[in-house]
Amino acid sequence: MDLIDIIAEKKFVGQEFLTWLWYKSEERGGAVCLPGAGDIQVVFEKHMLLEFGEGEAQEKLICRGLQTELKEARTGLLMGKKLEQARIRLARGDYEWYFTLTATLFEFRGVKVPKTVESEDEGDGQAAVEGRMLERIGMLEEISRTVDELFRMFLTVRTGPDWEDELRRVRTWLHKAAEN
Amino acid sequence: MGLLTASASFARYTVEGKPPDNFWEFAAERIKSFSFRDIDDTVDEYSIGWVSVQSMFDSEFAYASHAVADYIVLTMRIDERKISAAVLNKFARKEEERIKRERQVPKLSRNHRLEIKEQVRQQLMSRAVPVPAVYDLCWNLADNTLFFFSNNKKAQAVLEDFFKDSFGMTLVLQVPFLAAGKLVDADAQDALERLRPAIFV
Repeated sequence: MDLIDIIAEKKFVGQEFLTWLWYKSEERGGAVCLPGAGDIQVVFEKHMLLEFGEGEAQEKLICRGLQTELKEARTGLLMGKKLEQARIRLARGDYEWYFTLTATLFEFRGVKVPKTVESEDEGDGQAAVEGRMLERIGMLEEISRTVDELFRMFLTVRTGPDWEDELRRVRTWLHKAAEN
Repeated sequence: MGLLTASASFARYTVEGKPPDNFWEFAAERIKSFSFRDIDDTVDEYSIGWVSVQSMFDSEFAYASHAVADYIVLTMRIDERKISAAVLNKFARKEEERIKRERQVPKLSRNHRLEIKEQVRQQLMSRAVPVPAVYDLCWNLADNTLFFFSNNKKAQAVLEDFFKDSFGMTLVLQVPFLAAGKLVDADAQDALERLRPAIFV
């Protein structure tokens, strides 16, 4: 299967992951337990994009606002729309990232990395510049790895025997949240 | 939206293909061969090449190396002379009118008009200033992954071709299904292949 076919036929994998991650983040008030690493904070905020249909018949729904106002997005999911993009705040250890994750292509957009002691070192020497660059690459790789770890959690449950139970819990959350 | 900007946007790739044993020499030689050549003082329409992430004018990596620890960091620079269709049509029509008046003919043949349009295009192109675009990348040599700092589909397609030309290795965009294949164990691979969309409502 070439990449274009994979994107068309398997885009649901990324969209289901993003929906599951939203559920998971609200299950314990933003805390998600990462195997081997403990709790991290994952909060969906401000901006979401849902889509429905294909090609010219595709509809898009953009939801902006505070967390409490994402009711429209939940209703959209109940109407069969798919979560395509979400703005996420993720905190792990002492650091906090903001980024938009896209479901179909798994792209990271508008990533704001945490400020660190090294990144505030304004030296112009080659070593200082390289140090800042490595620090920044490290922060970008860490958010990329963390998203992969969350994705692995999803894949484990999605391909395992407990998926039907998990799916029931996601449906219950979705209906409850849309009613409130 | 690059590697060093306050807000970064990137797509993730894996690098497929076996790098040679003397990799750093190979990389340095290839980056030099495919470095950016300026076209400001020429009539070339298009130029693409590698420059330093710290300066789009540093195509010899005189001030900053492309090698940072276990990473190769580069900027793909593309300079292109462009003419908008509206401008080209305007000047082609103007030239057609001039020739019709000069020769006192009511209209010109289609072939003649095409010829005029091409001549006008070349004239305008030689006067147009090359428009630069830069896209950063960070290649992790330890795990053969690469971040490309643009979500522009055209730029991604250009990168995939130019990277292959430069290093003889292939970039594969890590969309969720492909990324998933690398994250799950062998037992889950079959289940992953068989997945069908779930109904959430």
